Amino acid sequence: MATNSIKLLASDTHRGLAELVSSRATLSRLGLKLTNVDIKRDSNTEVSFSIKESIRDEDIYIIMQIGSGVVNDKVLELLIMINACKTASARRITAVLPNFPYARQDRKDKSRAPITAKLMADMLTTAGCDHVITMDLHASQIQGFFDVPVDNLYAEPSVVRYIKENIDVSEAIIISPDAGGAKRAAGLADRLDLNFALIHKERARANEVSRMVLVGDVTDKICIIVDDMADTCGTLAKAAEVLLDNGAKSVIAIVTHGVLSGNAIQNINNSKLDRVVCTNTVPFEEKRSKCPKLDTVDVSGVLAESIRRLHNGESISYLFRNTPL
Amino acid sequence: MRDLLVFSGSSNKGLAERICRCLGVEEGEVSLSKFSNGETSVTMVDSVREKDVYIVQSGSGHVNDNFIEMLIMISACKMASAKRVTAVLPLFPYSRQPDVPYNRKGAPLVSKTKSSYTYDSVPSTPRPSSRNFYSASDVQKLDLNQPRQSGANVSNLVLSPAPLSPAKSPFFKSRVTSDAPADKGYHPTALPTNASSPGLKGSDVNSLVGYKQWIAQSGTLVANLLTTAGADHIITMDLHDPQFQGFFDIPVDNLYSKPLLQHYIANYIPNYQKAVIVSPDAGGAKRATSVADALEMEFALIHKERRQKLTSDTVPSSNSGTPSNGPYSYFHSNLSTASLSGGTSSPMLHGGSLSKEKIVATTMLVGDVEDKVCIIVDDLVDTSYTITRAAKLLKAQGAKYVYAIVTHGVFSGDALRRIRSSGIDKLVTTDSVPQEDLVAELGDMVEVLDVSRIFAEAIRRINNGESVSMLFDHGW
Repeated sequence: MATNSIKLLASDTHRGLAELVSSRATLSRLGLKLTNVDIKRDSNTEVSFSIKESIRDEDIYIIMQIGSGVVNDKVLELLIMINACKTASARRITAVLPNFPYARQDRKDKSRAPITAKLMADMLTTAGCDHVITMDLHASQIQGFFDVPVDNLYAEPSVVRYIKENIDVSEAIIISPDAGGAKRAAGLADRLDLNFALIHKERARANEVSRMVLVGDVTDKICIIVDDMADTCGTLAKAAEVLLDNGAKSVIAIVTHGVLSGNAIQNINNSKLDRVVCTNTVPFEEKRSKCPKLDTVDVSGVLAESIRRLHNGESISYLFRNTPL
Repeated sequence: MRDLLVFSGSSNKGLAERICRCLGVEEGEVSLSKFSNGETSVTMVDSVREKDVYIVQSGSGHVNDNFIEMLIMISACKMASAKRVTAVLPLFPYSRQPDVPYNRKGAPLVSKTKSSYTYDSVPSTPRPSSRNFYSASDVQKLDLNQPRQSGANVSNLVLSPAPLSPAKSPFFKSRVTSDAPADKGYHPTALPTNASSPGLKGSDVNSLVGYKQWIAQSGTLVANLLTTAGADHIITMDLHDPQFQGFFDIPVDNLYSKPLLQHYIANYIPNYQKAVIVSPDAGGAKRATSVADALEMEFALIHKERRQKLTSDTVPSSNSGTPSNGPYSYFHSNLSTASLSGGTSSPMLHGGSLSKEKIVATTMLVGDVEDKVCIIVDDLVDTSYTITRAAKLLKAQGAKYVYAIVTHGVFSGDALRRIRSSGIDKLVTTDSVPQEDLVAELGDMVEVLDVSRIFAEAIRRINNGESVSMLFDHGW
């Protein structure tokens, strides 16, 4: 249909990933540029938003990177953007949230604690979101919180490629830093045909780490710790120590969402980690300059290809196993 | 109090405390914190099962954080089997809707911080321009202050600041291309949206032509989000737009601070019957007149027009319409509109070449304030731009003493500094927003009225299933 084309929207801050996505071959061949929008923050910190192009009957993709610190601002920004598109008669609105906010508050772990991930899902639907694209959800059950389709992409193919290209696979071993991530790590180990070890952790409170026990043999191996999220990096630093105490040669951490909040940078710099590799789902450009150990895996190609496939009604599952060029 | 629990969000703990004291209940315990990545963490410590829960949170401070915190609290209570969850929002977040885009950059609620505060002004009443004989070089120069030219094409009338739909700013693209006719005697004014106009170049063209913009209207969204989170009832105060109540599918009780303000005026302003109630803009006229009527006081209105004016940034024109050299200085708009409509403006006043538009405000006062005590009444002060300008105008018109009485004092940006240097002698506001900073900053200049009794009484009545409307007239 002539009028129904892809429109990419992004916020004015943290638009690095959105720009990368729009410049990927799959989309740039279509001459796709970010739609001109204007976001203003009033002096009383309310957000106002305007779209400078007609989006009537278009297929809207709002790419929102949610970094640490400004989560709530970004969430409301996104909701307002979705709602503005809805009332401006967009045909379909897809929220591209590589790092889903509040993904860790996905269950009632204490009495009278909220399930905020469910609230986020409800809010996105209420605002008028028709489809959600996300990546490496902390718990894939979050997809069930939505009444709209959710495409949970995997960073794994990109990570596999990074490992093959940058690390000597013959000496490597995949480590899961906690029991919850065992499945993810085991999957990656299978793909790479590598051994697998697990660190068991006793967590006292959120964002704090206590005792760690290693299960498996890591002697003289390059240890690749795989996790879906690195926040304060306390876990990673401790895990690295445990691994080195058990005779590991070196330790590399690969995480999908490098939130790196609090004193994460300090923790990484002081730790015995060789390298911390994050995908660019979370904006951390300014942190890279402060931390030489950080490295990036670019996932914009996956997002761009998923947007193209979604728009054309093609299958997304190809992307679960393969990385687009 | 049967099964009543009041929780406080982090925005206005003082008010919640006072509400609890009025109700004679213990404040519900809740643990509010933030994870290190900035996500909000909420745990209701007290049991809420089968309770009637009230959550107090103002739309002040860091609005987005506070709003999401409120949503999470509502959701947590709902999920913990609360019988009913009522959101108490003394100041409703996102209650001011950006409507007409006054300039091409944004909505009126958006303000920029300026280093100095001068209030630019142009004559308010435009004169017909189409019959003016411009010199040939002036043909394409645009004059937005001449909106109604006789015989103009209807689609050329894009210049009126009258209500427009959000998508149609005054610069909304017109497809009419009116090439200047060769006839030297008659030159219709060219449109600024006309891409063929000379003088439009480079980025200016991009910003002036094409689709204008779509401004997000977040009112319905905020209403829906509260409902989605699980709120069963909303209590708020002095909604900026009373229509806002219609955005909700759940009952909304909009309380009024009017009785409280009237009480202050009647008891603390000496000789208040001789004072004048002033509305700082036309939108607040109804609010101000109702106060004036109730107290049988006189009433005056400040009318503010925002217009788009073209200023020159390339050709320094001596007649660029600044108040200093134009015949219409700020206070020329004198006492009544009549004197303004009789004014004549020199066509040369707008003679600068087109480069960018600028917002100018014309202010006029309707009513007599000379040697009188003026009481400016408004519902919400944010940047304080409106009331400080109103105070300046009132003082210039001979007002003896200027009170500003506002329900919600947000005072963001450099509002406090602006107020201190303004003509306002006494600022009266309520604690719907925490005002500790304000009192510390402005000291004796400020009076803060306590609205907790109104909210406490409303909560008590709602909890007991009594009528709330009695509160509208008597306050508490």
